[in-house]
Amino acid sequence: MNASDLPSSVRRLLGSLVDASVRERIAISVAALFASLLVGAVVIMAAGLVATCKEPFLALGGSSFCYDPWEVYYQLFVSPFLNDFNTALMLKETTLLLFTGLAVAVAFRAGLFNIGAQGQLVFGALGSALAVLWGAAFVPTGVVGSLVLIPFGLVVGAVVGGLYGAVPGLLKAYADANEVITTIMLNFVATNVAFYLVSTYFKDPASQSVETKSVPAVAQLKPVLGRFESTSFSVWALLTGLALVVVIYYLLFHTSFGYDMRISGIQPAAAAYGGVDAERLVVGSMVLSGALSGLAGAVYVLMVLGRWRTGIPAVGFDGITVSILASNNPLGVVPAAFLFGILKSGSLSISFALGVPKQLVGVLRGLIILFVAMPEFFRMVGLKLGVGDRQPVATDGGRPVEGGDDDE
Amino acid sequence: MNEPVVELDGITKRFGDVVANDRVELTVDRGSVHVLLGENGAGKTTLMNVLYGLYEPNEGEIRIDGTPREFDSPRDAIDAGIGMIHQHFMLVDPMTVADNVVLGNEPRSRLGFTVDREAAREAVTDLTARYGFDVEPDAVVEDLSVGVQQRVEILKALYRGADILILDEPTAVLTPQEVEELFDIFDELTDQGKTIIFITHKLGEALGVADAITVLRDGETVGTVDTSTTSKRELAELMVGREVLLDVEKPPSSPGDVGLEVSDLTVTDDRGVDQVSSLDFQIREGEVFGIAGVDGNGQSELVEAITGLDVPDEGRVYFDGADVTTDSRRDRIEQGMAYIPEDRQHRGLVMDFELLQNGLLGSQHDPDFAPGGRIDWATLRQHVEDIIADYDVRPPNPDATAKSLSGGNQQKLVAGREFERDPRVVVASHPTRGLDVGSVEFVQEKLVELRNEGKAVLLVSSKLDEVQQLSDRLGVMYEGAFTDVVDPDDVTEEQLGLLMAGQDADGVTSVPAGDFEAEAEVGR
Amino acid sequence: MAVARSREVTTMNRKAIALVVVAGVALAGLVSVAFFPAGSIAAVVAVVDANYLGAALRLTVPIAFAALGGIFAEKSGVINIGLEGLLIIAAFVGIATTYTVGGGQAAVWIGFAAAVLASTLFALLFAVVTIEFKADQIIAGLAVWLIALGLGPFTARVIWGTVNSPSVPTLNDWTVPVLSEIPWVGPVLFDANPTVYMLLVAVPLSWYALNRTAFGYRVRASGENPRALDTAGVNVSLVRYKSVLISGVFSGIGGAGLALGQVGQFIGSGQTMVGGRGWIGITAYLFGNYNPIATFGASFLFAALDALQIRIQQIPGLDLPGSLVRIVPFVIVIVVLALIGKTRLPSAAGEHYDSDED
Repeated sequence: MNASDLPSSVRRLLGSLVDASVRERIAISVAALFASLLVGAVVIMAAGLVATCKEPFLALGGSSFCYDPWEVYYQLFVSPFLNDFNTALMLKETTLLLFTGLAVAVAFRAGLFNIGAQGQLVFGALGSALAVLWGAAFVPTGVVGSLVLIPFGLVVGAVVGGLYGAVPGLLKAYADANEVITTIMLNFVATNVAFYLVSTYFKDPASQSVETKSVPAVAQLKPVLGRFESTSFSVWALLTGLALVVVIYYLLFHTSFGYDMRISGIQPAAAAYGGVDAERLVVGSMVLSGALSGLAGAVYVLMVLGRWRTGIPAVGFDGITVSILASNNPLGVVPAAFLFGILKSGSLSISFALGVPKQLVGVLRGLIILFVAMPEFFRMVGLKLGVGDRQPVATDGGRPVEGGDDDE
Repeated sequence: MNEPVVELDGITKRFGDVVANDRVELTVDRGSVHVLLGENGAGKTTLMNVLYGLYEPNEGEIRIDGTPREFDSPRDAIDAGIGMIHQHFMLVDPMTVADNVVLGNEPRSRLGFTVDREAAREAVTDLTARYGFDVEPDAVVEDLSVGVQQRVEILKALYRGADILILDEPTAVLTPQEVEELFDIFDELTDQGKTIIFITHKLGEALGVADAITVLRDGETVGTVDTSTTSKRELAELMVGREVLLDVEKPPSSPGDVGLEVSDLTVTDDRGVDQVSSLDFQIREGEVFGIAGVDGNGQSELVEAITGLDVPDEGRVYFDGADVTTDSRRDRIEQGMAYIPEDRQHRGLVMDFELLQNGLLGSQHDPDFAPGGRIDWATLRQHVEDIIADYDVRPPNPDATAKSLSGGNQQKLVAGREFERDPRVVVASHPTRGLDVGSVEFVQEKLVELRNEGKAVLLVSSKLDEVQQLSDRLGVMYEGAFTDVVDPDDVTEEQLGLLMAGQDADGVTSVPAGDFEAEAEVGR
Repeated sequence: MAVARSREVTTMNRKAIALVVVAGVALAGLVSVAFFPAGSIAAVVAVVDANYLGAALRLTVPIAFAALGGIFAEKSGVINIGLEGLLIIAAFVGIATTYTVGGGQAAVWIGFAAAVLASTLFALLFAVVTIEFKADQIIAGLAVWLIALGLGPFTARVIWGTVNSPSVPTLNDWTVPVLSEIPWVGPVLFDANPTVYMLLVAVPLSWYALNRTAFGYRVRASGENPRALDTAGVNVSLVRYKSVLISGVFSGIGGAGLALGQVGQFIGSGQTMVGGRGWIGITAYLFGNYNPIATFGASFLFAALDALQIRIQQIPGLDLPGSLVRIVPFVIVIVVLALIGKTRLPSAAGEHYDSDED
């Protein structure tokens, strides 16, 4: 990059951040979050009506409400910041969600809905665990071992995830099979196959559950900061995730490949016209997306558990929510992942402190997606409230003039 | 006869800030054919959509048989005896003719849920017999020709008891002969007391069939004239507001080597039917080869095979003698092909992108703009600003989105991007479709300029005057093949009409589609 | 022309592909059996009896009902990928209501009705969101799934303290006298769960409704060319609302059939007890090309595979890993999708429709 184009690229970066449509999307995401919390409060009240408890916070007539939505939300959003353990938990989740959120966002930008991030993550995690267990025999312990094993584990995770992501990509490109359905099916397949492989071939004989042996300590991503000493959060992983955000952003908005992806996602006919090889692009995007998911799996193994164990949490599914909330913008993935990190950490607190089932966060996740999916709703609400006097943009973007543009 | 059946009084319709109809007045007499004439964007279709209850007018009054009416939905208009045949047919392709005709008004049997298909079939047969149509009630709509589909649309309206039929640009998709048949149907209908409102921008048709003509311009009524007392010239002036002199300066051609050759090209569609069958032609550098024909006779398929959007089933395509038949779209761009696609809003531009990013489409792997795969925004911006200046794109703002531009400016951007790539071969598919007069002239002049610079130009258009004026040789396409290749200066519009319908035209001198012997010597 | 070829495959060879799949499944079964002691072959073959077919038919209920509902929604132009969520909601509400009401068959039927109502209300929500507020149908459908996936286990824990419910009674089988005595056919078709009878009625009824009634005409037109319907004076939104609600009712019966017809318990761990049956339902109607009869066939095929894997695992001495056998239906779905390629969706499926675009 030479000096002369620096101002324009800076201008572009700033431009795209404050661009009207971006502003609107941020507004919609924030509004969706609040709307979800509002509906969530109703769910909490209703659940409190059903639940039995000794000290209901509110009694109306004959009914008693066990859960106070205000207190639930307070625990949910504030407790992650109150002690180091919760904070580490939140940052750990944020880190994982950065990877899967990016994975889904990248595919979305290319017009592909990768619901299979979860399966790619499961296989990436397994590949990473097995590779590190195998490689540990050949490297010395100590710093050198870490410097070799950790990158090796991450790369293998990415490669395995990428290969598994290639499957729906190839099916879509060359057999026209809808990726939404194939990726969901491949999730079921991955979970069961991984379970079979580990239980049959790679099981830790000393363990009761289906899990591999623990990877050596040198291969584990350690908490670097003293205050997170005994937690499973590593600043290195977070920084890697943030660096990837920048890399993916640059890739999408400042490279030829990213340009190809974006036009394919937004207007496939124009992409074909512009010389994009649709099949290769589909496969390439899915490989990239799968690799990011696989990387999340590797980080999960090397940072969180130290081994592969059945019942991997649904970080891949949460990546979908993160990406949708972020409008599939890599930069938006950061706050969205952070938000869900908070919710994940907070969900344990509400369960612990208030007895509210942690599955509440699952409900909120669905509600957020639902609201983000209907910007029209917020435009109407906005118009009623007198904010935003804009005419809604026609979905086809055309000007509503007679006969459109194509009549002869 | 002079009994007004439809009266539109002071109709105004706004879309946001755009005024599509501005206090429009229209009076139509019973049993007449009334033409609504105007250029694209004059507000004709909007006005008729108001009359049909699809749009609610912001101001004004609709009177049917002297009674003021308000139409909230097409249902109200249908009840008032109005039927509309839209430019894009409102037919459900996988359903049969009879099913389409009765849709929304199905004859019922058994408890009122089940459609009485026999009754539906009979209703269609009755109507076709009464008005002399030739339509098979059990045929599936997607298997029918465009002309027949149009008759199904008319049947739909008649089935609903329409007395007033609105036809929106019905002739745009028809061959001259099918147009004649349609006008015969008009006669039959008016004889039986129906009233027809016929929307068109073609002067000849208007004069040929109308009892009265109302001209719209920029959303306003310019006037209503009696067909017997007006002329083409007067109508043209009313339509565009100035005298039209569309004539492009074109020096004699001095053709060079063969730039583009198509040899024995066959393209089949999904159903295995030939859309292009064994087509041969050559275009020399410094020459415009025009292709005329009614839309849907294989022009789009031909263009896609040449530009690399589709792979032909048989035959070859050569650039400068090199076989590019299986080369990808990107390869062809890199070998110097400029392509103005027929649908700029779907193919030629990414509507949500700014002009800046649209300037990159097709060049995104060009080292000049993306050295090492990284986009050089400064160079691109300079290039796009140059295009905007040279091609007079308005607004001159590289950061405006493509969709915010008018059709003419969108097309100028596409043309600028494609032509400034310094191509060797230019493919222009309906390059002036839907453009205002100024943009039409601009694009046409550019094409001639490219020809004069020695590019091989392929021009596909359904506008006869355009292909006739710009081409050096003119192929007339019908059902995937050339009926003839002619010298455009030596053929009349009537003769072209016959050729477009796949018939021989007496007195036409053919010219060769290419000099294939000479090419053979060059060796492939 | 790759596109053209795959479409030809879609239209011309669908039946052939179905045959190939069935043959392939049979072959795969034989091959896998061949790896095991000869006695096992007899054991596996013995699995396929009237009892097995009856079980397969029961397992067809949730898949086929979800699929039938999906047909109506998608034919009208609204792609409802939230079917899985509707099944979950129905299953949960059915169990929870039955548990709360307590008692015998009456309670089960009350639970059944509540399940259908709950699923229909969820479908109404989905309809409002997609039709009124023009939400992206795919994302909104996904949201319906995720909400149900969270709400079921969440409420289960609120009520029972765990994500799984205690057992509740299930619907008693209905036995048709005399007819049920017919060998093979009798026990399968005339001694079955009420939900199986419902399905056997719903399949031809759906076909008739779509192809022979005025409503069906309008549903199809709404998905193919909504403007044609609008200009014919029919309210497109209303047709779409009705269609999506039908998908809610059908999914409700399907989910209740699973919960109250077979399992008798809500299981909320992982993907819940529904376990992807809604997704398989979507594939079933794509494979069945939106034809209710063919869709029923496809659903039965998937359910039969599922039943087979359960049975095979119960054969003593035949040590097939359950986790591998479980993936068979999913792999088949993928293979089928790859083979049939792109089904011709209704032209306007997935698009909003505005009658007046100012």
